[in-house]
Amino acid sequence: MLATILVAPSLLFAQNCRYSLSGHIEDADLKEKLAAASVYIRETNSRVVTDSNGDFRFGALCAGRYTLIITHVNCDSVIKIIQLNRDEHIDLRLPHSLQTLGTVVVESRKGRENSGFKKELSGQQMEQTRGSSLAEALSRINGVTMLQTGSTIAKPVIHGLHSSRILLINNGVRQEGQQWGNEHAPEIDPFIAEKLAVIKGVDELKYGSDAIAGVILVEPRSLRNEPGYNAEFNTGWATNNRQMIFSGIWEQTLKKIPAFTYRLQGTFRKAANAATPDYRLNNTGAEEKNFSATAAWQKKMFRTELFYSRFETSLGIFTGSHIGNITDLQNAINTSRPDPVFTGQDSYRISRPYQQVTHQLVKSKSVLLKGAHKFNLSLAGQFNHRREYDIVRSSSNSRPQLDLSVNTFSEDLNWEHPRTNNIAGTLGISLVQQRNHYSGRYFIPNYNTYTYGAYWIEKWSRHRWDIQAGIRYDYKTIDTRRLKYNGDTLDHNFNFSTVAASFNSNFRASAAWIFNLGISLSRRAPYVNELLSDGIHHGTATYEKGSIELKPEQSLSLHSGLQFRNHDGKLNAEVLLYANFIRDFIYQQPMPENPVLTIAGAFPLLEYRQTDALLSGMDLSVDWDPAGPFRLSGKIAILYGYNRIARDWLILMPANKLGSEISYVLADKGAFTGNSLSMEWNWTDRQRRVPDAGNGSQDYKVPPPAYQLINLQASSTISVSQRPVTVGIGVRNLFNTRYRDYLNSMRYFADEMGRNISFRLKISIEKNQRDKSISKH
Amino acid sequence: MKTQLTKIAFAAFMAAVLLTACSKDKDEVEDNEEEVITTLKLTFTPAGGGTALTYQFRDPDGPGGIAPTTDEIVLAPSKSYDVAIEVLNETTTPAEDITEEIAEEAAAHRFYFQPSAGSNITVSNLNTDGNGIALGLASTWTTTATATGTIKVTLRHYPGNPPGKAAADPIDSPKSGTDIEVTFNTKVQ
Repeated sequence: MLATILVAPSLLFAQNCRYSLSGHIEDADLKEKLAAASVYIRETNSRVVTDSNGDFRFGALCAGRYTLIITHVNCDSVIKIIQLNRDEHIDLRLPHSLQTLGTVVVESRKGRENSGFKKELSGQQMEQTRGSSLAEALSRINGVTMLQTGSTIAKPVIHGLHSSRILLINNGVRQEGQQWGNEHAPEIDPFIAEKLAVIKGVDELKYGSDAIAGVILVEPRSLRNEPGYNAEFNTGWATNNRQMIFSGIWEQTLKKIPAFTYRLQGTFRKAANAATPDYRLNNTGAEEKNFSATAAWQKKMFRTELFYSRFETSLGIFTGSHIGNITDLQNAINTSRPDPVFTGQDSYRISRPYQQVTHQLVKSKSVLLKGAHKFNLSLAGQFNHRREYDIVRSSSNSRPQLDLSVNTFSEDLNWEHPRTNNIAGTLGISLVQQRNHYSGRYFIPNYNTYTYGAYWIEKWSRHRWDIQAGIRYDYKTIDTRRLKYNGDTLDHNFNFSTVAASFNSNFRASAAWIFNLGISLSRRAPYVNELLSDGIHHGTATYEKGSIELKPEQSLSLHSGLQFRNHDGKLNAEVLLYANFIRDFIYQQPMPENPVLTIAGAFPLLEYRQTDALLSGMDLSVDWDPAGPFRLSGKIAILYGYNRIARDWLILMPANKLGSEISYVLADKGAFTGNSLSMEWNWTDRQRRVPDAGNGSQDYKVPPPAYQLINLQASSTISVSQRPVTVGIGVRNLFNTRYRDYLNSMRYFADEMGRNISFRLKISIEKNQRDKSISKH
Repeated sequence: MKTQLTKIAFAAFMAAVLLTACSKDKDEVEDNEEEVITTLKLTFTPAGGGTALTYQFRDPDGPGGIAPTTDEIVLAPSKSYDVAIEVLNETTTPAEDITEEIAEEAAAHRFYFQPSAGSNITVSNLNTDGNGIALGLASTWTTTATATGTIKVTLRHYPGNPPGKAAADPIDSPKSGTDIEVTFNTKVQ
């Protein structure tokens, strides 16, 4: 993890903005300096990370009242209010077990950073993604890309793998929707997240044995833990698709009942049809309405939280990409630009074909501390309803053509035992019950699944070493039923046992160098669509057929990382090498000799098959913060996806990417603080590693050429009557470049979105009602 | 400690109540009633009288599953037939007659007939929609000398509102999409 140092250098121009705030953070129990703790000032939106001595420093602060949020891995945030009238230095001790810091309850565990593979997006980088989809925000992390269906539907890809090979953990709960489809985007409001993280290694065992590609954590901000209230209002506007976003958060803790705290959050987003540089694509609008509420009861030794969220979206699908049969598909592909019939409407209206998805989550989470033992109980219910409206023959038909409801209940209980002999660990069990119901067109059957899992993780850390190991076992039964037209039923029952294990070691050779080596073994049971899908896929005019013969996939993943940080922390570099050997990798094999004849013509058949695959690659990033206002960063991601049995490349793997960013931090001036300008250059290569057409044509069109994009960002936080107001302007695709992306299925039909200028505004209000003696004067 | 355990138990109970309240079993209802076209039936009535002939493409279980059957269209030489098209969904009982829907929304549908060269069949006289543009639910097929060949019958649907159907629209007009595309073998004997 690169230290993100986004604070303005101490260039003192403004009169009242010349104070510094420095501090030192220690682990209270181990009496060790706490490195890599994050210190965040909410008002200026700036963040620093403590160095190896546990020290941090902010410069060029204006006089005023600041909210410091101090976080360390696996800890809840500590909030500290500072009144700054001169240069200040504060000492903080983060305790191991539950203790108090001021009136603030602090909970800290294990002392050390997660030593496995972890990449995060938070702070200002996260702020810059406000208004984008979850996948788009995640794709700012090196090694993560997007699989898209047009401009509205995007899902994350980690090192070439996606969908059911990634576990998406939303606020501690494993997301259970219909994630199997390439055009099924995650059903999560990105505004809920304060932080997005991608992890690999031992910690993924907490969530499942099937995290072949890794785990994505969507983490909301911590609830308030002192009396008072705060509110945040975000709005965003974009020129290209006239997108508008309103999002608000209200958090409160009552003075009379300080143990009780709650949060209300909501987001509304609406976008019209998107425009490429040359034409506007009809029916590419989107609308999203999300709401969540959290209530918690927080005492020293016990905490319980109830969370509810509702996500609802309607996503238009470009009319020119909905295909009746293979002849229509060939005609659409052979034109260099979509027919004028499908372009030119500038409207918010969404009509067929479109998707409508709702996802509700109810969660109860309780934490009990007994001495140094910690028990976590999490119960969750998820209700996902997905409807796809195709183009239909009868205009009076208002029904969806694909209608899937999946309800999931999950129960997780774990015990974190105290750290003894430098070993800390977690033992847990988890149960999942899931029921899927379909109506309309058959694509996947009704099913009930039951999963029973247990895991055990231990982490040892001493001096320069961290060693972690874990194991997990899951047993899953799947009972399926297809209701045939004539009243017959077709039943298939399966059960799968999957074992996963992981080992990770981390060695801090010196203050400058950290080595990391991890080995993970995971197994993923085939998903219902891979076993039993049977139907036409209209987006690609193919007939997809599952196979009940499929066995679980087994992945042996090796990753090795090297981090460098120079003596003053100005130069950071990180390289990650990985190789993921997947035995019985499930993929879709085109069967050109066996097209499926239907009344709408013959459709090419794709059958689920298994092979042995190897995905290997490298992520490299460098961050340089020389003295002065400039900061430079660069990143490279390279991936090879290979089918070892066919001795050929795998289809639909992300192309190599190269990117760099230069940012310029302006000195604070008057009420304007945290002023920054940045320019980003991203280059995506043409994907040259595609399956050889000699092995049966797998694609309709050769991969699009390489492209490069320039993006701009500018932001500033203005103090308006003591309240911070953050204003940001961004330009995506500055030069209105025409391009198509290999991982966007729209590349067959149309170009990507052209220049998009966006504007965002954030207003925060905060009032703390706390004992005056605690704030620092 | 005891009160804490009580609290955690209470929290767990509350959550369990919440969850089970929503987890009522749904009855297994069969509702696969989506618009599937299983059958394209062509009825040939010889001009000037005679026994009507029926040829069809039939896929009673819908796409996938059991492969569909396609009749060979056998017609007499130098003859003219009035052809009526029926489109059915036979997955339901009784079968759903989609022909009526097509007739009702004639301005959004159009049949195309493409006999292969040398099949010695010509199709003309397509019936029209309310705007006088070809629809093709009824047509006239004329044969000449004995021959074998194929004929492709295509139903195109205009999803737009208004449909924007025009007389000059080619079969691959982007304004319309394919609902039916069936190729029959033909024999004039």
